Amino acid sequence: MESHKEAQPKGEFKCQLCGLTAPYTYYGQKPPNTRSIVLLEESYVMKDPFTPDKDRFLILGSQCSLCSRSVCVGTECSLFYSKRFCLPCANDNLKAFPLEIQEDMDKKKPQPKSFPSKKMDAKT
Amino acid sequence: MPSEKESRPRRPGREPSPAQWDWDCPATRRRLEELYFREQDYIRAGSEDSRNFWAFFERLRRFQSRRSERECEPAVSRGPAEPPAASRLLDLPREYDARYRINLSVLSADVEGLARGRRLDPGPPREQLSEFRMALLHYLDFTQKQSFAKLAKLHRERAALPIAQYRDRLLRAVAQNQVVVVAGDTGCGKSTQVPQFLLAAGYSHVACTQPRRIACISLAKRVGFESLHQYGDQVGYQIRFESTRSPATKIVFLTEGLLLRQVQREPMLPGYHVLIADEVHERHLHSDFLLGVLRRLLPARPDLKLVLMSATINIRLFSGYFGGAPVLQVPGRIFPITVIYQPIPKEEASTSGKSERLDPRPYLRVLQAIDHKYPPEERGDLLVFLSGVAEIGAVLEAAQTYATHTQRWIVLPLHSTLSVTEQDKVFDVPPPGVRKCILSTNIAETSVTIDGVRFVLDSGKVKEMSYDPQGKLQRLQEFWISRASAEQRKGRAGRTGPGVCYRLYAESDYDAFSPYPVPEIQRVALDALVLQLKSMGLGDPRTFPFLEPPPLSSLETAVRYLRDQGALDEAEDLTPIGNLLAQLPVDVVVGKMLVLGALFGLTEPTLTVAAALSVQSPFLRPAHANPDCATARRPLESPHGDPLTLLNAFNEWVQVKSERSGCSRKWCRRRGLEEHRLYEAANLRRQFQELLRDHQLLEVASSQPSDSYSRQSRHRERRELHRLWRSHTETEGRKRKVLRLQDGAASSSSEEEEEGGARGRGKRSIDIQDVKFKLRHNVDELQAASSSVLSSSQLALLKLVLCRGLYPQLAVPDQLNSSRKDSDQIFHTRNKQGVVLHPTCVFATTPELLQAKEGSECGGTQDSKDGLSRHHQLLAFVSLLETNKPYLVNCVRVPALQALLLFSRSLDTSADCARLVADGWLELTIPDAEAALRLLSAALQLRATWEKLLNQKLEGRGREPGRQPSSQDVSVLTRGLLEFLQIEVLYSLRRLTGLEKQVLYIGPQTVAAAPRLPGLFQGTEMKPDEVKGGHRVTDYLTYNCLATDTDLYSDCLRSFWTCPHCDLHMPFTPLERMCHESTCRPPEAPLEEAAGSSSKTTALHRLYHCDVCQQEFMFTPTEILRHKKQHQ
Repeated sequence: MESHKEAQPKGEFKCQLCGLTAPYTYYGQKPPNTRSIVLLEESYVMKDPFTPDKDRFLILGSQCSLCSRSVCVGTECSLFYSKRFCLPCANDNLKAFPLEIQEDMDKKKPQPKSFPSKKMDAKT
Repeated sequence: MPSEKESRPRRPGREPSPAQWDWDCPATRRRLEELYFREQDYIRAGSEDSRNFWAFFERLRRFQSRRSERECEPAVSRGPAEPPAASRLLDLPREYDARYRINLSVLSADVEGLARGRRLDPGPPREQLSEFRMALLHYLDFTQKQSFAKLAKLHRERAALPIAQYRDRLLRAVAQNQVVVVAGDTGCGKSTQVPQFLLAAGYSHVACTQPRRIACISLAKRVGFESLHQYGDQVGYQIRFESTRSPATKIVFLTEGLLLRQVQREPMLPGYHVLIADEVHERHLHSDFLLGVLRRLLPARPDLKLVLMSATINIRLFSGYFGGAPVLQVPGRIFPITVIYQPIPKEEASTSGKSERLDPRPYLRVLQAIDHKYPPEERGDLLVFLSGVAEIGAVLEAAQTYATHTQRWIVLPLHSTLSVTEQDKVFDVPPPGVRKCILSTNIAETSVTIDGVRFVLDSGKVKEMSYDPQGKLQRLQEFWISRASAEQRKGRAGRTGPGVCYRLYAESDYDAFSPYPVPEIQRVALDALVLQLKSMGLGDPRTFPFLEPPPLSSLETAVRYLRDQGALDEAEDLTPIGNLLAQLPVDVVVGKMLVLGALFGLTEPTLTVAAALSVQSPFLRPAHANPDCATARRPLESPHGDPLTLLNAFNEWVQVKSERSGCSRKWCRRRGLEEHRLYEAANLRRQFQELLRDHQLLEVASSQPSDSYSRQSRHRERRELHRLWRSHTETEGRKRKVLRLQDGAASSSSEEEEEGGARGRGKRSIDIQDVKFKLRHNVDELQAASSSVLSSSQLALLKLVLCRGLYPQLAVPDQLNSSRKDSDQIFHTRNKQGVVLHPTCVFATTPELLQAKEGSECGGTQDSKDGLSRHHQLLAFVSLLETNKPYLVNCVRVPALQALLLFSRSLDTSADCARLVADGWLELTIPDAEAALRLLSAALQLRATWEKLLNQKLEGRGREPGRQPSSQDVSVLTRGLLEFLQIEVLYSLRRLTGLEKQVLYIGPQTVAAAPRLPGLFQGTEMKPDEVKGGHRVTDYLTYNCLATDTDLYSDCLRSFWTCPHCDLHMPFTPLERMCHESTCRPPEAPLEEAAGSSSKTTALHRLYHCDVCQQEFMFTPTEILRHKKQHQ
C-alpha cells in the first residue's frame, strides 16, 4: 500500500502475499481507453505487456475488502466474489461463501492451478 | 437474476425463436459485432481479438450444452435457499452466480438502446443479447487470467533463478566497491538479471557489453520483456548498424568493440555510470583490450562502477587484475547430465581423414540412438556442436535424409552467417513427437541459449582463425576444444531437466584438452588493436598492462605493419592517415582505399567496394549454384576482378531495389547472392560515408529534395515505413512458431531453398529487410550514386586506388600457368608460394584474363621463353585465407610494371635501370633501357605528386579551401597516372629465387665514390646506401645497388641525350638523366608558364649553392647542370 500514489503513473504494485511486483499505470475502476468496460473494484492496472495492442490493460490486483492488504488477482492469493478477498480472509470466512465457492476452495488446495476451462467448470 | 440462466434450460430443445436464431450465421455475428465490437470498443470487429472471441464463444456454448444435458435440473446445484448468516456479514449476494466472480463489467446501456431503437430491424432478441453479453464477460475474464498467468509465471521464473538470492549481496557489493566480479555458471541468470537489479536499484546510464551482436539484441529484448516494458525504450541495444538507443535509454546492451570505439571518442566515457562487462571469461580480443582500457580509466573516474561477469573460470585472474576485486560466486542451475563418450572408431576416422568433407555417420548414429532409446512423446531436442559451416552442411544433408525418412526430426542449422530470421527458427517449437536437431557452431556454446535441449552431441572441435603475422595470412584451422568449452557445451543439455551429452572423443582425449581456450589476443593479428591503442593515447603497446600480454612478436609485427602501411611514422606516432584509419572499423587496407578514393573523386565507387569487401562475400559458393545461377551472375562479373564484380553486384541490386523493391530478394536468389550481406554492405557503406564526412573527406550531401511537395511525400513515405516496421517488431519475435516437418526440409540442402522456405512461411508479411533498408538509407541518393557508369579511365584509377590500398598484398601468377588447367592456376605472394584462387574468384573461371600473352594484333613476335610481354599482370588481393589450401580472396588484376613502380616500398635498380627489383622479390627486366628510364622517372614524379596531394588532402581537412589540393593539381596527377598506365613496353617479370635474393645487392664496400649531385633531386640528397650499396635516391628508390656480373661501370658511362622538355643536349649518366628529368617539369603545365612569363624566377628556379665557386644562384635544374659543366 505504501507504493500506490495514485497520481504517480508508474508506481509499483506488490502483492503482499506472493511478493509479485509489477509497475502499474492506473489505479481505479475505469482504466483509460476502455470505454465500455468498468472494473467492479478499485484495481491496480497496467498495460497488458503481452499484447502489442496499446489499449489492452491487465488487472494486477486490488485490496482485500476485509483486511485491505494489496493482493494480486492470482488464484493462489485472492478470490473475487462480488468483492476481493485475500485468501487468508476468505479461508477465515469460508462459511460465509456459497457452496460453489467453498467447494472450489477445497478443490484448489491440492491443485492450486487456475486453468480457464476449469474455471468455467467451477461456476454455476 | 441474470437472463443467461433463464435461457439455458430451454435450449436443448433447440427452441425455434422468433427469428430462427442461429449463432453460427455470419450475418448474426456481424450484427452483434456491429453492436458490441465497434471502433471505440475494447474488442474491434474483424480484429484477431474478435476471432478469438468467437472461438471462445463456441467452446463456451459446447461446454454449456454438455453441462445442461448432464444436469437436466440446474436448480439442484444452486446454493442453499437461505444464505448463511455469515454471508450477510460479508455483504455477499443472496444467491450464487458465476457472474459475481468476474471483477469487470461491460456497459451496454447504449448498445441495447441502439438495438431497440431500430424499429424496422427487431435486432437480436433480448435473451440472446444477454447470452452474448455474458459470454463477452467471460471472455474478458479469461483473457485477463491468461495474461496474468503469464505475468505470474515470469515472476516465478525470475525468482527461481539462482542469482535472485544474491540480489542484495550484489547491490551491496556494487555500492561499496568500484569493481565487482560476478562469477556464475550457465543458467544462473546473471546476464538478464544483474542489469535489472541495477536498474531497479536506481542506477542509470548502464552499459552492458557483450561479445556478440546477436546477444545484444536478444538480451535487450529479454530484459525489456521481463521488466514488462516498464522501462519502455529505457532498455536498448546498440550494434554496428542498429541502435534502439534513445535519450531515454537507461541501459544499453552493446558489443565490446562498440564500447571501445566510444572510449576512443570520449576517453572518460562520460555517458556511463555503470559498466557491465559480460562473458569476460571468453577472452575475446576486444574484451581483453576493453578490460585493459577500463583498468586505466577507473582511477580517473572514481564514480564509475564496473561489474565483470564471467563463468566460473579463472576468476582469480580477473579479480587480481582489478586489485583483488570482490567476487560474488553464484551457483549455476543445472540438472544432472550423463556423459557418453563415443569416440569415432579408428577405421572411420582414417577414411574420413582423407576426404575434405566431414563424415556424418557418427552423428547419425547418435540420432538413431536417441530414437531407439527415448520414446517420441518424451520431449527434448538435440544440439550438435560442429566446428564450422562446412561441417554443418555435411551433417545437415545426411541428417535431413534421415529426418525425412523417420519423420521424427527437424534439422536446423545455426551459425552466425545466417540471417537473424533464419537463426530465429531454432527457437521455434517442433510439433509433438518430433525433435529439433540443431546443428550449430560454438555460437550456441554461450551466446545463444535454446530452451528444451536435452541432448548434446559434441564433436570436440572448433574452428578458429589463427594468424600468421609473417604472411598476413589468416588460417581457419580446426582445433580440439578446451575442457572449459567441453563443459560449457555439455551444460547446454541440463538447462531444463536432466540431460545426456554424447562426446565424439574419448575420455582420455578430454583429459588431454587444455584447461581454457587460448585467449584471442594470443592468436590473432593485432594491427587494429595497436592502431586503436595508439589513437586512445595509451602509449607504447609493448608496455600496455594487458590482462595477459600478447606475444611480443605479434605486437612488433603489428607495429611494423602499420608503419609499412603508413599509419604510424618512424617514431610510432599516428600519421594523419593513421589517425583516420584508427576510427574506421575496418581493415587498414580498406580504410586506405577510402581515403585514396576521396582524393580522385571516386568516393562513391570506393565506398561501395570498401563496404562490400568488409562484409562476407554475398556470392554463395558455386557449389551451391546451378548453371542458371552462374548464367544469371555472369553480367555482374567484372573482368578486372572481384572488387569490381562486387561493385557491379551492389549497384545492380540497388537499382533493382529502387525500381521494384519487392523483387530484390528474388533477384538475389536467382544469382546466388546472399541478400543479407548486401544489406550489411549498404549499412557499412553508409557508415563509411558518415565517417568520411566527419573527417571532412567528403562534402556534406546537399541532396535534399528541392520542393516542399517531394519533401512531404518523402516524409509520408517514411512515416508509412516506420509504421510497417513498428507493426513488424511488435508482432514478430513474441510468438514462437510451431515448426512443421517441412521447415527442416526447406532449410536443408541450400541456403537458396531455405530462403524460399522462409518466404513461403511469411508470404503475407512484407519484406521487413526492405522496409529497414528504406528507412535507413536515402534510396534515391544511393541509386544516383550506383547508377553512374564508370568510364574506362575512372575504372583504371579505381583499380590503382584499390591496388595502392592493398599494397603490398600482391600475388604473381606462376610462369607455367598458361600450361595448366583452369582450376590449377598457381600464384605466389612474397611470403607464400603456391596459393590458389578462391573458387568464387572471377579469374578462377576465366584465367585467360590474367595471361600475359600478347594478343595476335601485336604481331606475336615475342618469344615467350623470355617471358617478355607488355601485359604482365599482378593480383592485388584483400586477404589470404588458409583452410585446406591457401586461397587468395578478392583479387583485382593490375598491370605489373606500373603497379610496382608506383607502389613498391623498395625499388632497386641496375645502373642503366633496365633491371629493377621491387620489394626484394619481383624482378622486372626491360630490354629497352631508354623506356625503362622514362618509366622510372615518370613514376618518381607521379609518386611525389600523389603523396603531396594526399597529405594536403589529409592535413587540409576542414581548413580553408586554399589548403586543399587544387582540382587542377588533382587533374594533372590523374592525367599523369592515366598516361603512365598506358605506356606499353616489353618486359619480363620474374620472382627471384631464394638464392638470388641473398646475392641481390652489391653491398656498400663496392661503391665507387659517391656522385655528388646535390640539389638535383628535389631536395633529397643522394646518399650511398649502407646496406645495399648504390645510392638512395628517395626513401624507396635505390639506384644501382643490384649486383650484376657484367656491368660494373655503367653508372659512370655517359651517353648523349636530349631532354624533351628543355632541349638540353649533353652526355648523361642514367642517374643524371633521371635527376634532370625529375626536376625538369614538362613545359605544358599552363600554371608554370603563366608564372614564368610574369616574373623572372619561375617555380623551377631554386636556390643553388655551388661548392666550387662558393656562390649561390637562383637556377633552374638545367641551369644547374650547365653551371656544373663549367667546372668540369
